[in-house]
Amino acid sequence: MGSFFKTGRLVRDESIHPAGGDGSMMPQWPLLSLLLAFLSLDILAVGQFMMSRPIVVGPLTGFLTGNPGLGLEMGALIELIWISDLPVGAHLPMDLTILTGVAVALASELSGKNIPVDAAVTYSIGIAIPLALVSMQAELLIRKFHVKWMHLAQRMALASRLTAFEWVNRAVLLEIFLKGFLTAAAALTAAHLVGPAFFMFPPRVLEGLAYARWLLLALGCSAVIDMLMDRQTALYLFLSITVILSLAVLVKVQETFLVALTLFVGLTITLFFAGKGESS
Amino acid sequence: MNPEEKIRTAPVLNRLVLLRVFGRTFFLETVWNFERYLNYGFAFVLLPAIKKLYPPEERPQALDRHLEYFNTHPYMASFVLGAVLRMEEEKQALPRLKHKQKEDEINALKVGMMGPVAAMGDSLFWATLRPYCGLLAVTLVLARTFGSQGKAWIIPLIFLAVYNAAHLGMRATGFLQGYRRGDQVVLTLRRYGFQRIIRGLRLASILMLALLIVFANLSPREMDPGLFVLKLAFFAAIAGLFTFALKKKINSSQLFYAVLLFSLMLAFWPDISVRPAAP
Repeated sequence: MGSFFKTGRLVRDESIHPAGGDGSMMPQWPLLSLLLAFLSLDILAVGQFMMSRPIVVGPLTGFLTGNPGLGLEMGALIELIWISDLPVGAHLPMDLTILTGVAVALASELSGKNIPVDAAVTYSIGIAIPLALVSMQAELLIRKFHVKWMHLAQRMALASRLTAFEWVNRAVLLEIFLKGFLTAAAALTAAHLVGPAFFMFPPRVLEGLAYARWLLLALGCSAVIDMLMDRQTALYLFLSITVILSLAVLVKVQETFLVALTLFVGLTITLFFAGKGESS
Repeated sequence: MNPEEKIRTAPVLNRLVLLRVFGRTFFLETVWNFERYLNYGFAFVLLPAIKKLYPPEERPQALDRHLEYFNTHPYMASFVLGAVLRMEEEKQALPRLKHKQKEDEINALKVGMMGPVAAMGDSLFWATLRPYCGLLAVTLVLARTFGSQGKAWIIPLIFLAVYNAAHLGMRATGFLQGYRRGDQVVLTLRRYGFQRIIRGLRLASILMLALLIVFANLSPREMDPGLFVLKLAFFAAIAGLFTFALKKKINSSQLFYAVLLFSLMLAFWPDISVRPAAP
């Protein structure tokens, strides 16, 4: 069973990461906190360019902790698992910026100490989830507080002091940035303190944590299936897997070419439907 | 028609003001609040135009009108903002007697459009385009297309470029179309056929998901075909189980810990875990 899990591509061939971090996230924590606070602005306050998504935060954090490749892989995994957590209506999604930043920083810290990277990745995400939930609560408080800002600006505007709109906006931006910085700093410190418990685990626990990484990919795929699919498209998914599998295994088509082909077919389908839209 | 009642249609907002208003649309959700959601952002975005269109003594009331409840999708709000700008211009060209009527029309447009536009934006951007871009990025990571450490920045850049091309395009188009068409922008929105684009993008996403599933189970090394089929079947069964759990409103974080627990059980299961035989 062990070999069954270890043949997957999500599980690394080398059990010891070759280029782990330099051992501790703490020397970089001010810089990491600033980065996460800056990226947190993108979640809601400024633009929503998706710079706060795990796939971007992961490699950036990894770059600061000396392991961009690990950051990218972890960012991809977190992106996939929480892909269906959408900010619709008043729903507050998980704070994936803090989750990814803390998880990548902790995994980099642990992976510098000659332990299985797959286990460190799973463990780090597990530690980062409650910290991200705390950050969500802080966000909730801030948004409740925004009601007061709004009423203040309204009162000032009715008193013909329209400049209040400008400085309230700046004050709120600063408030969100500070909240991001403080929660990131607190979360990184907490992760740094809890992290070493990892080294007390017996080898079998580490083995279990490593298995989880492949299963987490299945969880990510389920999130996509849950969000995008219905009964009509189930057959379409099955046929797509069969065709791609045949191309990959029987025809031995290269992976890059498969990605390009999938993109081309996907684009054609989208344009076909879009074209139908214009004519109707 | 009485000259007093004639509508002046020439725009009074110059390009600089329009550009400033458009720039502010990126701050629409800064003061998002639980009482009136995007109301502050809406008024904040319109402020340069209000300063241009109204004399100082009328500005507070004009701004206050836009502090009513407003909630929609942040990108698609550009359609509403553009249309409201045009209608505010038209209002100022009307005789004073008709101002109240125009104000009611503006409010009706905001209330009438915010729901449908939010539904379109949520479906198109949050539930379709962002997952598609995310899937593309994850698939590229699994394919190890840009595998080496030095190229880790390429995949996030692709993700941002693809997503923001659509995002910024929609913001700009929405703002311009709204401003050009005013209250007729609803007809323009219908012409875009967003539902069909969403349908096409969802099919493209499912295709990408199929590729991701294959990549997740393919081994970089040679692998026994029987084991591969077994692995794919196991993966499908687990994914089916997770999908069922998600449908039952168990969230991803809870399932994450369930996976950890299951994995630990596997590791401690004496008959399953393959260990080297003792010498």
